[in-house]
Amino acid sequence: MTLDVMPDVTRDTPRKAAPLLEADGLVRIYETRKGLFGQPVPVRAVNGVSLKVAQGETLGIVGESGSGKSTLGRMLLGVDPSQEGVVRFAGAPLPAAGTPAWRALRAHMQMVHQDPLAALDKRLTIADQIREPLDIHARGNRAERRARVAELMQAVGLRPDQAGRYPHELSGGQRQRVVIARALACGPSLLVCDEPVSALDVSIQAQVVNLLADMQAANGLAMVFISHDLKVVRNLADRVAVMYLGEIVEEGPVEAVFAAPQHPYTQALVSSVPAPGKRLDGRMILKGEPPNPAARPAGCAFHPRCPHAVASCRAEAPALVPTAAGRRAACHLVGGADRLAA
Amino acid sequence: MALTDIAAAPAVRRPGLTTRLRRLVPWSVAFGMVWLGATLFVAVFADWLRPYSITQMDLMARLVPPLTPGHLLGTDELGRDVLSRLIQSVQVSFVIAFGATILSAVFGTTLGFLAARFRGLAEHIVIMLADFQAALPFLIMSLAVLAFFGSSMVLLVALMGFYGWERYARIARGLAISAGAQGYAAAVVQLGGTPARVYLKHILPNVASTLIVSMTLTFPEIILMESGLSFLGLGVQPPETSLGNMIGFGREYLTTAPWIMLAPAVVISLTTLSISLVGDWLRDKLDPTIR
Amino acid sequence: MFRFVLIRFGRAFVTIIAVMTFAFVVLRLSGDPAAVIMGPDAPIEAVNAFRAAWGLDQPVWVQYVAYIQAIFTGDFGVSMRGQSPALDLVVERIPATLELTLPALLLQLAIGIPAGIYAALHRDSAIDRGVILGAVMGFTIPSFVMGLVLVLVFAVTLGWLPSGGDATWQHAILPVIAMSVGGIGILARFSRSAMIEVMGQPYIRTASAKGVTWGSVVRGHALPNAAVPIVTIVGFMVGSLLAGAVVVETIFSWPGIGRLLIVSVTNRDLAVVQCILLLVAAVMVVSNLVVDLLYGWLDPRLRGHAAH
Repeated sequence: MTLDVMPDVTRDTPRKAAPLLEADGLVRIYETRKGLFGQPVPVRAVNGVSLKVAQGETLGIVGESGSGKSTLGRMLLGVDPSQEGVVRFAGAPLPAAGTPAWRALRAHMQMVHQDPLAALDKRLTIADQIREPLDIHARGNRAERRARVAELMQAVGLRPDQAGRYPHELSGGQRQRVVIARALACGPSLLVCDEPVSALDVSIQAQVVNLLADMQAANGLAMVFISHDLKVVRNLADRVAVMYLGEIVEEGPVEAVFAAPQHPYTQALVSSVPAPGKRLDGRMILKGEPPNPAARPAGCAFHPRCPHAVASCRAEAPALVPTAAGRRAACHLVGGADRLAA
Repeated sequence: MALTDIAAAPAVRRPGLTTRLRRLVPWSVAFGMVWLGATLFVAVFADWLRPYSITQMDLMARLVPPLTPGHLLGTDELGRDVLSRLIQSVQVSFVIAFGATILSAVFGTTLGFLAARFRGLAEHIVIMLADFQAALPFLIMSLAVLAFFGSSMVLLVALMGFYGWERYARIARGLAISAGAQGYAAAVVQLGGTPARVYLKHILPNVASTLIVSMTLTFPEIILMESGLSFLGLGVQPPETSLGNMIGFGREYLTTAPWIMLAPAVVISLTTLSISLVGDWLRDKLDPTIR
Repeated sequence: MFRFVLIRFGRAFVTIIAVMTFAFVVLRLSGDPAAVIMGPDAPIEAVNAFRAAWGLDQPVWVQYVAYIQAIFTGDFGVSMRGQSPALDLVVERIPATLELTLPALLLQLAIGIPAGIYAALHRDSAIDRGVILGAVMGFTIPSFVMGLVLVLVFAVTLGWLPSGGDATWQHAILPVIAMSVGGIGILARFSRSAMIEVMGQPYIRTASAKGVTWGSVVRGHALPNAAVPIVTIVGFMVGSLLAGAVVVETIFSWPGIGRLLIVSVTNRDLAVVQCILLLVAAVMVVSNLVVDLLYGWLDPRLRGHAAH
């Protein structure tokens, strides 16, 4: 089964060695107000994030709610503008959102949201909605579009007789399949998935995750998979980035990071995943308030909750520096040697 | 509670058709529907239903009272048949109200969408326009415009088309913003759709039912507004006739021939009453979110 | 809260300017007042002299600036026919209009709100249904129909009350009724739905469950909360009263502002129409402002951090 009937610009670009997606020093600041006329409070939702995604690679982004991972996802697609920093896709900076160039680029980079019911127009049949990107980007003639829709529906596991159904007539898992089929319609080279399964029944989640993995393998997609579910990320991702209060605190190959987390926050996250046969007393429980981006602590943002915090953590924010092969961490206490691993 | 009645009804015993209808539709709403159906029929087929031309004078039968053979509702001071003029008036008033309701819905929805799309300055301008409209009672504003530009059918419809636009603007803006925040509209933008596609192909069909329901609020108000202006002599001009203009002229003969004025007065009151009753009922059924 | 008040005042000011501009555009650009006032047969010199006297020979924007300046110095121009200042003509009509609108407003508040609240508290009773039907009929019957029917019944047929004029207090009875009926209907319906909504709120049910007596639930919790939405509609009521005054004063030959407006509009008396438009707008802007501030004050949620 091949989904790759559509032309793909990235295949033709000369800079094949360069990462498909490259973010450099992204900053996103929201202004919130206390009431309508209160003083605006700047909230740094994303605070200096740099990352790279290679073609065909899956990058997992994990973090608690409020860590800025969803905002980062939209910035990687150019939906939300960045105040500082730049996103390059296939070597070229993203055009401004809403411009014709930006719209044209949507054929190559797509998104899957958390809530498929909200993302679908309740007044159009699912076949119409899967066909919509083809209409927008003027792909093929009428018959070719119809064939492509049938192909996509089959690929994501929808029955042909469901083509005329409306979103409310489908189950949550089926709706998310529709959204995935729509996102893949034009044959994108990058897919950003923002919590794509967390609104679904647990029994359905695995199916949709497997579908995403299959689609990724079959189409050579690069994927950014945003989730708070570490197990899903571990199954799906090649590399993982851990976010805390708008910053990446640790990044590396997924198995290495989960097997031996370096940053205390990652350690806490990893130890919070229950596993059969694992004793609970070794778990590291996060104390203190969950992160509030409007009140970012000075120094290392994690220090109020960190069991190992020392004076320098309160004074100075640690930089994200290489720690081992292909790994980076942002912690004063993580040097070349793995001091905290014990 | 009306809904539970209906839901519970078939479970008990299958009642007869009339009983079921009566449970489904209160008698006042049923009356409103019948009346509106009849007036719509009259408005559409006015040219065939009219016994006489509206300007045909019968000088031998001036100010004839109702129920006179040949003049069911009597005649006016020039011997013109009141029933014929009434039928024509219903048509004229309905045409104006329909045209104006559609204009106002289009205008208001467009402004609401613009405010939702561009926010900031566009919203401030829309708010300023709404403030302006709230600062001058519509009748008084219309009086000034009609008096100084001269009344014509086109100007009247265009002017009435500004009535009630802020209601549509508010609804359209609110629904478009909520659709855009995280919903289907944002998804289509993300697919690369142009704003025209997002607003016309996706948001408009989704908000249409709410907008149509609020048209039932505007329609009777425009009928009242037009008849008020015509009554004051600034709306529909003779020889054309409308419900308000008939009342205005009939007022002169209030003591000697009250039927000239009473016939259109009853029609206006029953029509706006019916639209209100049916509209309220429809709103409860279709869209409980707007008041 | 202070900034909210300030912004609200700013909006009111912009609105007044917008109404001034509207009056200017409509009245100046709709036709040549000189030709209308002087008639088609007037000698050209006389028309030109008239134009110069009224500043009509100046470019439009000069006229506009002069017009705005004049209004802010209290100069509303001179009636083109009456030769007396437009403001004086309008001001001397104000008491007559107030004699109708104030009693009508009081009647609306005194009947509409209690009827609506009573209906809400006795929901689905015969009285409730009667109030709903009466309210719907009240605001669907146009005021000019109501006025003429009142004249027909009480003046022409029964001969109890005069049909027009303003000689005695009896003359005011029919116009006041004609003006207030629609508003009573709107207020009754609106108060009823506001009250029903409040009575369905969890805090009312909690208060009842705590054993607070029904009377004090209604007085202590429901009424103050229902007052918030009801207040918002009173601004609208003032507007419909002013529009109603135009119609009702015409029917009953009542020498108020409404009739002056109709007469001036037919005579194309620019200055007087302008003056009335601005007066009406000022009344509306002030009442909307008061309603907004009252709303901010009544709704405790808005007290801390202003309205949206």
